Amino acid sequence: MKKRLIAFTTMAALTAFGVYAQDAEDPFADAVETRHGLMLQMASDLGTLGGMAKGEVAYDKAAATKAAANVAAIASVISMAQFPAGSENGKSADSYALADIWAKPDDFMAKITDLNNAAAMMQTAAATDANAIKASMAQLGGACSACHKAYRQPES
Amino acid sequence: MSRLLTALFGIVLLGIAGFILLSAPRTVNAAAYSGLAGDAAKGELVFWAAGCASCHAAADATGADELVLAGGQQFPSAFGTFVAPNISPDPMQGIGGWTLVEFANAVTQGVGKDGEHLYPALPYNAYNKMVPQDVADLKAFMDGLPASAEPSKPHQVGFPFNIRRSLGVWKLMFEKTDWVIAGDLTPEQTRGRYIAEAMAHCGECHTPRNALGGLQRAAWLSGAPNPDRKGRTPNITPAKLTWSKADVVEYLTSGFTPEFDSVGGHMAHVVENMARLPESDRQAVAAYLQLVPAVE
Repeated sequence: MKKRLIAFTTMAALTAFGVYAQDAEDPFADAVETRHGLMLQMASDLGTLGGMAKGEVAYDKAAATKAAANVAAIASVISMAQFPAGSENGKSADSYALADIWAKPDDFMAKITDLNNAAAMMQTAAATDANAIKASMAQLGGACSACHKAYRQPES
Repeated sequence: MSRLLTALFGIVLLGIAGFILLSAPRTVNAAAYSGLAGDAAKGELVFWAAGCASCHAAADATGADELVLAGGQQFPSAFGTFVAPNISPDPMQGIGGWTLVEFANAVTQGVGKDGEHLYPALPYNAYNKMVPQDVADLKAFMDGLPASAEPSKPHQVGFPFNIRRSLGVWKLMFEKTDWVIAGDLTPEQTRGRYIAEAMAHCGECHTPRNALGGLQRAAWLSGAPNPDRKGRTPNITPAKLTWSKADVVEYLTSGFTPEFDSVGGHMAHVVENMARLPESDRQAVAAYLQLVPAVE
């Protein structure tokens, strides 16, 4: 858990300070790619938890706690560092981030705090049983969609 | 010549008389509501299932603010921009003091307190399938919500759609009180149909409309251009929605797709609402969706 957290934090720091360095076409391409990578890894870990919540996969404490720890680690990485001003939908290719993020950064970060709290609850649930995961899934999903509702351009 | 003029005049008069007759607002059968006592606790579930707060609360409302139905959200459409009115219990600006029959006329028939037609931005074409007891329960719940003295704002609708009387003809053409999915349904499917077709009004966004804004029921839930932004609502018939029943239940509970992307846009409101219902209701909706004819 700790090692993973350090790895993610290092990765975030690297992306924040190093890799953003400049693409002539789209200076925010790396920031956007980092965001999408974080979300994809989160989706993968949620898939592990969700399979158990839906009863498609038998409850496996080791796999569940690992997935929940990953979710918590990713949540702890998300900050304005991956959202440099200007990296928004319409200005940066592939970005679905809405400009409201930079108009209301405090609200945006409050929603990230909610996500961290929900992820912490999921860590407890993951160590308990499939029913606890199922109950915690709604809370976690609510945190995800609260932010996506307000700050992500719908895809379709 | 003068005889011809008289005949023409007569035809025009007949036309006007026909329009007045046909476009007259039709109200509920008051007898069906007499003696009904509303149960506010049951009404809360109707309230969430019907999605009232998603349009009538402030757009970014969360928590207790979701219960302040002051209106103000804007809904752009091909016919103009509709603005959700104040439906809080405020006696001056809201609907405080309305009788149950007046409330039922608005919700299920699209007829306002003064007998005027309401625009079908209010999904009365779905709510007209609700049973009177649910309408009574809903009113009992809404009567207990906080009042807001915020005045309703006018719709921004141009000619000819600003002539409310013309909505009477629209209703004659497009108002439907029968179920889209008919036939022998299990109790679970029947419950799912009631939630989807009568309360949650899924078809209002997921079913394409004709040029006059009438729902194309033959293409039920097959997706439609999004009225308020670019893009489309997805086709959720079995032709495109290939999720398992458990996947649909999970989506309506947590907002997670089977790929663990999460819901956004207006559908995020819908998921918040569905998540407040018992799980059996979400399973019923999932069972109903499997019944819908596949439309490519």
